[in-house]
Formats: sequence, C-alpha cells, structure tokens
Amino acid sequence: MSNAKHNTTPKAEHGATPSYVTGFILSLIFTIIPYYLVANHVIAGMAILVTILGFALLQMAVQIIFFLHLGRQKSPNWQLFFFISTFGIILVVVVASIWIMHHLHHNMTPVTTADVAKRLVENEGIPQIDGKKTGACEGVHTTYKVTLKGNTITPSHIDAHLCDRISFINEDKDAHYIMFGSFEQPRQYGGEDMLTITNRRAKTIVLNELGTHHFHDHMNARTTGDFAVTPN
Amino acid sequence: MEVAEHEERHEPEYKDRVMFGFWVYLMTDLLMFTVLFAVYAVLHANTAGGPSGRDLFSQPMALAETLILLTSSFTAGLGMVGARLGNKKQVLTWFGITFALGLAFLSIELYEFREFIHEGHTLATSAFLSSFFVLVGTHGLHITSGLLWMAITLAFVVKRGLNVHLVRKLNLLSLFWHFLDIVWIFIFTVVYLMAFIL
Repeated sequence: MSNAKHNTTPKAEHGATPSYVTGFILSLIFTIIPYYLVANHVIAGMAILVTILGFALLQMAVQIIFFLHLGRQKSPNWQLFFFISTFGIILVVVVASIWIMHHLHHNMTPVTTADVAKRLVENEGIPQIDGKKTGACEGVHTTYKVTLKGNTITPSHIDAHLCDRISFINEDKDAHYIMFGSFEQPRQYGGEDMLTITNRRAKTIVLNELGTHHFHDHMNARTTGDFAVTPN
Repeated sequence: MEVAEHEERHEPEYKDRVMFGFWVYLMTDLLMFTVLFAVYAVLHANTAGGPSGRDLFSQPMALAETLILLTSSFTAGLGMVGARLGNKKQVLTWFGITFALGLAFLSIELYEFREFIHEGHTLATSAFLSSFFVLVGTHGLHITSGLLWMAITLAFVVKRGLNVHLVRKLNLLSLFWHFLDIVWIFIFTVVYLMAFIL
C-alpha cells in the first residue's frame, strides 16, 4: 500500500477533495435551477429553451473542469485538442441535422392538397389540375381560332394536341361567357369553370387536359362546341 | 518488487498514453451519443398519434435520477482521492457508495422503461419513442457496463489491495463515470426538461 502511495502523485496534477466539493455544489445548483424554471413555468418560449441549454453547458463545464480535470495535463495537451475538435464535430452534427431536417419538414409538409398544387404551380412551374401534373407547356404550338358571333361558334369542332391553344374571339359588341361542359352538366377545363370574353376581345386557353371537352355559351345553351385533345 | 520497480520508471509516459487512448475512446463514444441526440432532436415530435414526452415523463423521477448520478460522480471523485492517497478503505467506501447510487439510477431507469412498455408504449410505437429508447437505453447500457467494471475492479482491490495498476484502472473508471454523468445531463435537459417546454 505504501507502494501505491509512492507511485501516484497526489500533489498538483490532480484535484483534491475541495475541487470535487466545489464541483458537486455547482452541479447541484445548475441542476436545480433549470428544473425549478421548467417545473414552475417561470419563463416560456425561446427564453426557457436557451436558459436550460445554457445551464446544461455550464454543468458540462463544471464536470469537465472539476471532475475530469481537463486542461491540467502538461503541454502539449492532446486531450484538450481532441476534446475541442470533438466538440466541433458535435456542433456540426447536431446543429446541421436540426437545421436541415427543419427545412425539409417545412418544405415537405403539405397543409392541404390545394397548398401543394399552389406551391407546385408557383414555385416549380408545374401546372396542376386536381392535383395531377399536366406537364408544363412550353414552346410554340398551334393556336386554333374559335369565333363567337351571335349564336354561332365557328368552327364547332377542333382536333388538337396537348399544349395547343384555342383563342376564343368575340366579334360581338356584348360579352360572351363560355362555360365548359353542357348546360345540364357543367365541367371545368384547366381549372376554369367559365371564360369571360368582353366585346371584340379574345381569350386564349392552353389545352393541358386530354380527352374530348364540350363547351357552350352561357347565354344560349344551344350554342355549343367541342374540342378533342390528343397526346402529341 | 523488481517488476514493479521496472514499471515505475516508465510509469508517467505509459500512464499518459493509456489516459490519452482512453480519452480517444470517450470522445468517439461521445460522437455516437451525439448522433443519437441529433436523431432524437429531429424525431421527438413524430409521435405517430402515440403519447408525447409530456404525456409520459415524470419530472420528479428524472430529477431523482439526475441527482443520484451527480452524487455518484462526486463520490467517484472522492474515491479517486482515496486511491491516490493509497487509502484502501476510502476507495472501497466511496466507490461502494458510487456503485450503490449507480444501481439505484439503473433501477429507476428500468422501472421507467417497464412502466412505458407495460402501458403499451414500446420502441415500435413511434419514431419519438424509438429514438427515446435508443438514446436513453444506450446510456443505461453504458451505466450497466460501468457497474460491472466497478464491481470487478473493487473485487481486485479487496483481494490484492491497491497497486499502481488498480489505481490506474480506477482512474479510467472514474473518467468513464464522469463522462456518463455529462451525457446524462444532456439527456436530462434535452429529453426530460424540453419535453415540457416545446
């Protein structure tokens, strides 16, 4: 036993009892305060979050200084270097994970399907109909002209391809209201119920929905037309 | 005795190398805990319709665990003071208390886990509970291995008395124990306290 006494160095290199007592008292204080703050709802929100994390870091500092005695090794202090570099990695891993996943969560969480459609149309430029992608229509395509005059629609039938356009031209002095579907069964086309075309103006729609679609004049249910959209 | 004399000459350098090696282990272990903390921070809100931390955790129990572990870290430190003075009785007393406190801590943790599982809140309930059980469970496993290590080392102290090797082992053990205390402080803060404010 005297051997052990001889070999170990109880002097300056390692802390003695007082250092442990100080560390213990400090660590108790740094535990009780955040616990009290949380349990009694003393402060709220971001302030409490920052406060308790601050106390955790203080607590860690106490443990490292008074119990692990880091920093008391002789120079060069590889232990301290290694600890600091590890701490850097820890910060990167934790902060970056939270940051990245928060953004991912923010961008990937739909509130409603309408929000998704809106986001896709506005941010991504992908036209949507009922939540289904229609494919963006870019470049030059054929534009068909449909003339509205009195009770006539000419031509009353158009064969077109996806992404072609139809221009409804109003040659009358009054506005025309073109409704999709039949009078009895109104439908939507490209998300629209009705096209309002004021006097002597035109309105162009992009054919982004496949199939045969009917339309009629709202003021005159017998004035009808249709167009068939086939894939390119 | 001759062997001891021989080792004595190389002791400081050897001791430094062992210490540094063990420190490297502790830091890499800390990185593993870091990843588990990051996973918990990301997944803690994903309760999949199951209970949240606020519903499950008991604040007084978490405080009791923390105080027990803090005290055990302190008593391990006092045990080390005894070891450096070559005081076998002091070593056995303080490390004995540390062991008992560690066992008490582990019992509370296992009781908590048993309660959760008994109520049907298991590892498979939600991402939140998966990350909780893995993070806190990994710490619990470290405590368990620390207790085993302590029991074996103390048995050697009783049998052979304090020698250079055992003092060194006790030193590493106390480092390990303080390290687990630091990890627990963050579990206490991030898992138990934050559950009640976020």
